[in-house]
Amino acid sequence: MTRSDDPFAGVPDAAVLVAFANGDGQAARVLTARLLPRVLAQATRMLGNVAEAEDVAQDAMIRLWKMAPDWRQDTAQVSTWLYRVVANLCTDRLRKRRGAVSLDQVAEALDGSPSAAAQMQTKARMMALSDALAQLPDRQAQAVALRHLEGVSNPEIAQIMDISVRSVESLTARGKRALAALMAGRKAELGYDDDQPE
Amino acid sequence: MTMTNPNEDNLDDIFAQARAVQVTPDDDLVARVLADAAAVQAGFTPVAVNPSSGFWAGLMEAIGGWPALGGLATATVAGLWIGVAPPASVADLTASYLGDEVSVSLFATDPGFDIGEMVDG
Repeated sequence: MTRSDDPFAGVPDAAVLVAFANGDGQAARVLTARLLPRVLAQATRMLGNVAEAEDVAQDAMIRLWKMAPDWRQDTAQVSTWLYRVVANLCTDRLRKRRGAVSLDQVAEALDGSPSAAAQMQTKARMMALSDALAQLPDRQAQAVALRHLEGVSNPEIAQIMDISVRSVESLTARGKRALAALMAGRKAELGYDDDQPE
Repeated sequence: MTMTNPNEDNLDDIFAQARAVQVTPDDDLVARVLADAAAVQAGFTPVAVNPSSGFWAGLMEAIGGWPALGGLATATVAGLWIGVAPPASVADLTASYLGDEVSVSLFATDPGFDIGEMVDG
């Protein structure tokens, strides 16, 4: 949707959400165009799987629609609320995945052509990252993903997770160390034989 | 001099690749999300009063429909009856507050009652 297609151009997301709750026929289309790409991207980075990420994105948006009549504009930003919902939905799925390794089926698909091989390696790395996130405690996984996959600042993560900035720093530091240790065991299959990032 | 951890360097590299991943919602997902939105929004509408249904329909909806109206009618009739024929306890209470009891009967229960008596004093 271009800016000229947006009948709510310049209107904050929260106000468009209130319009949706009041029955506005354009509000859902506008909010979907504004919010769905970021929701889907966050879920894809955490889960390493587009199909699963699409289900999470749809679920997160349903929750947004349902809570529209109760939305209080003075409490939180819609984007902050969505970060939290998506992070929670993703850790729910990662928890179920614990113990099951999905990398093998991805690696088997390598066909030898350089671009396809590079693409598959990226996919394999994303899946390995997601599997490693699944091994972390939920709060660590959420904090690490928000900080290092979404690039969210520590104060905003504190707001999203409803904890102190100091707790965010602690969670991200411990989470990153644990992730590095988990990924170290798979560096050969992920193309990091020489200990140097490519 | 700072020693870097090669495992964390590799991880930072993977983080950077993950951040670079571009995902665009396809038309099917957008359609599903908009269909959900329409279904949820349709559930909001019964709460709103339909302005085309007129004042009385809106009032009926506001007070809770026919069952509520039935209760309201019963309470109104009971109130009218108490006003017309107050029980003794209500009359006593009135007297205690107002200091005197004034009773006007709307029903001519006395066969000898004659309007002329009132006029003549």
